[in-house]
Amino acid sequence: MIFSIVLLAILALGLAGWFSARGRARLLNTRLRDTGRGSLRAVPAFHGWHMALWVIVPAAAAWLIWAVVSPELVNATVMGLPVAAKLPLADIDRAAVLGEAWRLAGDPDAGFFNPLAAELAGPIREASTRYALIGALLTAIAAFAGGAYGLTRIRADFPAQTQVERGVMLLLLLASLMAILTTFGILISLVLETGLFFGEVSPIDFLFGTHWSPGTAVGEDMGRNFGAIPLFWGTIYIGAIIAMLVAIPLGLMSAVYLTQYATPAMRRWLKPMLEILAGVPTVVYGYFAALTVAPFIRDIAAALGKDNPSSESALAAGVVMGVMIIPFVSSMADDSIAAVPRAMKDGSLAMGATKSETIKRVLLPAALPGIVAGVMLAISRAIGETMIVVMAAGAAANLTLDPLESMTTVTFQIVQLLTGDQEFDSAKTLSAFALGLVLFIVTLILNIVALRVVKRFREAYE
Amino acid sequence: MNNVWETEAMAKRIARRHGAERRFRAMGLIAIVLSMAFLVLLLVIMLKNGVTGLDWSFLSGSDSTDPDLAGVWGALKGSLLTMLVTLAVSFPMGVLAAIYLEEFAPKNRWTDMIEVSINNLAAVPSIIFGLLGLAVFINLLHLPRSSSLVGGLTLALMTMPVIVISGRNAIKAVPPSIRNAALAVGASPVQTVFHHVLPLALPGILTGTIIGMARALGETAPLLMIGMRAFVATPPEGVTDPASVLPMQIFLWSDEIDGGFVQNTSAAIIVLLVFLLAMNGLAIYLRNKFEVRW
Repeated sequence: MIFSIVLLAILALGLAGWFSARGRARLLNTRLRDTGRGSLRAVPAFHGWHMALWVIVPAAAAWLIWAVVSPELVNATVMGLPVAAKLPLADIDRAAVLGEAWRLAGDPDAGFFNPLAAELAGPIREASTRYALIGALLTAIAAFAGGAYGLTRIRADFPAQTQVERGVMLLLLLASLMAILTTFGILISLVLETGLFFGEVSPIDFLFGTHWSPGTAVGEDMGRNFGAIPLFWGTIYIGAIIAMLVAIPLGLMSAVYLTQYATPAMRRWLKPMLEILAGVPTVVYGYFAALTVAPFIRDIAAALGKDNPSSESALAAGVVMGVMIIPFVSSMADDSIAAVPRAMKDGSLAMGATKSETIKRVLLPAALPGIVAGVMLAISRAIGETMIVVMAAGAAANLTLDPLESMTTVTFQIVQLLTGDQEFDSAKTLSAFALGLVLFIVTLILNIVALRVVKRFREAYE
Repeated sequence: MNNVWETEAMAKRIARRHGAERRFRAMGLIAIVLSMAFLVLLLVIMLKNGVTGLDWSFLSGSDSTDPDLAGVWGALKGSLLTMLVTLAVSFPMGVLAAIYLEEFAPKNRWTDMIEVSINNLAAVPSIIFGLLGLAVFINLLHLPRSSSLVGGLTLALMTMPVIVISGRNAIKAVPPSIRNAALAVGASPVQTVFHHVLPLALPGILTGTIIGMARALGETAPLLMIGMRAFVATPPEGVTDPASVLPMQIFLWSDEIDGGFVQNTSAAIIVLLVFLLAMNGLAIYLRNKFEVRW
């Protein structure tokens, strides 16, 4: 609420700055022209933009800094009050009561457990109103100071356009740096939490242990319950084996049919329809797997004489995931086949080979590097897929070859570990970040290698 | 010479090769038909289970423990707010980054690093973005948990690379003659880009943005990480209120034991698919209407 008011106020001031500066620049311009002293170096509108930037940027910066600092100031003020002496001494309890009081201060109707929180809410509300006023005042001062500086710049020889464009370039650069910032943010947050985790559980136990049951992990030898091999196996089995057994033949054959046999009209219709498979949200696939595919597979397993088949099977999750990946494999194969020079195909046909012989003996081998890269990208997508396995694969960490057993994956466990009600910073929640780091590194390597292969493959035929 | 072709062995051989040709062709067709059959089966089952549950009270209600009273409006509004945040953050950021990389970036190690990280971010599993959102927005910045603000910001980080990549392609497609003409009459490089290149590239950028937003709308895993799985019985009033989103509502209902929720889940899936179809249709329409072939 306050945030949007201040934002609007800053924008309004910027607008006012824009108009006043442009007006002033226009006046100056006419005066210069009337007295025969040439004209402004920049058009008046750029003086307006220059002014607006000088109003908005300092004001926004001031408000941002204040928004970060003021909660600390409010806390410090409230801590100085006599009521605060009643607060519990332990840091965690204190933080809990304070958190509740802050919530109450923001919304008087919210319920509370601790009467102390209700007592503190009043002072917090008062203090934050006071500091918000001070913040607004500081923001206004920043806006007017910036504006005053901007106003002094309206002179005949001032290169307003160059200055404004320099600002725009800075903005563009900052926006593109967001990508690097995100990458580093992912790496740093994963590495930091993983470091904390490895402080409690040795990396060897984690990477090479074969027993996974973080729920029972307590005390000295809890490292034994954090062996992630069953998760890695489940992930590879579902995402890289079962799903690929479905996706590679179907995706590859559809690509071959679409590129080599289908008439242009068929291709125009079939290709977008195939792409719809990729556009269906994964939660829908997950529901479909749990509602239809998994019971179907269970019934077949029971009919085949398996005792007490589990309703959540690796096979169900893997098959549905494979279907989801089909359009991905298909479009990668499509691109690679299209990149093979036409002369190779024509040469083979001219020698008397049939179309299918040409495809099998010439086109596919020539397109193989591209297809392999596509499969690698598909695997990286499959092992990072979450919702299908969460809804259909099960929670039991089994190290087995039987596709009808319930199996668990890295992504499933991340969800499981972080959506419980346990406190943060326990080895259990931290292990989720370690799993995330492993997943990130593996998908990164797959992607980088695949993109390299594709690039080299393209160059080979150019 | 002709004798060789007319022998019985040759006739057999040719028949075998033609049989192989037909089989191969049939295999291709079967692969496509199988994939399509799966899609059709999925849609039919969802329609069969859900279409009877689609009525006004379902569309206007919020989550409830009673399957007959539960509705989808609360989640829909949460999705809407989340998408607004995502769009407001990722669109300007993505477009500006695309402009910089395509038009102004010098060729050096920094630019390469930016490019590599954008390409990799587009392929990072969505759940990793959830972990980032949890670590940065909730644990570090203490933004309200389970709100559409945090959800939208997390999805914005995920959508931005998609917008940058499609934006760069759209900007690349604008012919250099447009830039040269603007520069020749005295426009500065910044003016050239903002007055001439960007308007021409905008349809392409919008198409990419809509596709990225459609992906974000269907995303569940990262939102699970930042705790958007709370039971929310009142539609959110603002971006800081606890909210649910449509895919999350589907996930939560799919977990319910009460049989009545099967209908609700399927009906919610129909609503979600209709929205996605509309967005993709809009993207295709925009592309066909405004696409310029130079």
